Amino acid sequence: MTFHLQVVTPDGLAFEGEAEKLSVRTQEGVIGILPRHIDYVAPLGMGEAVITDAEGKEHYAACIGGMVAVHNGKVRLVATTFEWAKSIDLARAKEAEQRARSAMERSGISERDLKLAEAKLHRSLVRQAVGKRKY
Amino acid sequence: MAGVSMKDIKLRIKSMESTKQITKAMEMVAASKLRRAQERIVNSRPYFAILFDTLNTIANDTEQFSSPFLEKREIRKSCYVVIGGDRGLAGGYNSNVLKLAYSQMEGTDACVIPIGKKCLEFFRSRKVEILTDIYAVASDVHVGDCFTMAKMISNGFLKGEFDRDAVVYTNFVSILSQAPALLELLPLEYHPRSGDTDSNCLTLYEPDSATVFDAIIPEYLGGQIYGALCESITSEQGARRTAMDAATKNAEEMISDLSLKYNRARQGAITQEITEIVAGADS
Repeated sequence: MTFHLQVVTPDGLAFEGEAEKLSVRTQEGVIGILPRHIDYVAPLGMGEAVITDAEGKEHYAACIGGMVAVHNGKVRLVATTFEWAKSIDLARAKEAEQRARSAMERSGISERDLKLAEAKLHRSLVRQAVGKRKY
Repeated sequence: MAGVSMKDIKLRIKSMESTKQITKAMEMVAASKLRRAQERIVNSRPYFAILFDTLNTIANDTEQFSSPFLEKREIRKSCYVVIGGDRGLAGGYNSNVLKLAYSQMEGTDACVIPIGKKCLEFFRSRKVEILTDIYAVASDVHVGDCFTMAKMISNGFLKGEFDRDAVVYTNFVSILSQAPALLELLPLEYHPRSGDTDSNCLTLYEPDSATVFDAIIPEYLGGQIYGALCESITSEQGARRTAMDAATKNAEEMISDLSLKYNRARQGAITQEITEIVAGADS
């Protein structure tokens, strides 16, 4: 049994089709959505999304920000960033990590800039973790 | 020979030609970037439609809905996100948007988040309070940055650092016309739909509808900022294309003008030479 899944990002449609299972990290923790789920809305955190497609194959992606919504059995993953594991540029993520770390170490950094750097660091760590996945 | 010598004219034609080549190349680069930017706007539309739809549904599902983001306070301080370009040579693109932004904040207590190098320089020289300068390079600002910025803005709004937030950007009307515009972000203007048709209150919100709404708001704002950024980038390329097109045309006009002058001078020189030879033979 499958359900219809749409993954939308500001860059366009990342995925559309039937899926057996979707697992994402919401702000409350990791949740799994199976077919015939009740109508549901939750904001997303930063983490890994796993889509099990109709053939039972698992696809991994870094999924950051946005929300997941189930409406009448159709699932929409509205993500700020959604990157398939195979398209993550590990070198760039590593670079972003270092940039964020060095920004945080700078003396006299304002609290606001520190928060921004922390968010960037978190983001780059998530991307690296997903990018290193064997898919 | 009266006026400029042939050599001078030739030099000027040459320099004109290389200028023309540069403006022509810039025009073509802008045209291709413009196409890509337009695609980006089209791609991002469904995302915002869905986001907006969900916000509406939540607000409609919940009775006596209230959120700190909707609350109107007395405006003591405003925060503006001003989106400009990194480089000039784009006609009135930068000056128009900066003029609008500055006229809005003049005489009021305001702080600014500049996007684009030109923008940062403008506000720095006018000693306007700058919240952060990490978005100084407009071409480096990604979707993710828009969302972190939105989070920062909404946190600031909730903490009472400012009571109003707006984006000043350039609206892409058409390839030939771009207009600077102001978009109010916070407090959120919200008008519930009357007579909603398929509202069902059985939707499960985790942890609860108010929290979900407040968590989605920054996303929504980020989306709006990203939309404005896309519009601005497209406008910049459009403005640059038009400006460079005009510059190329001007260069062409000057070249044809100068060639005419050059030919006249050449003819004059030949005539003079013949006259001299004839005069020499006669004597």
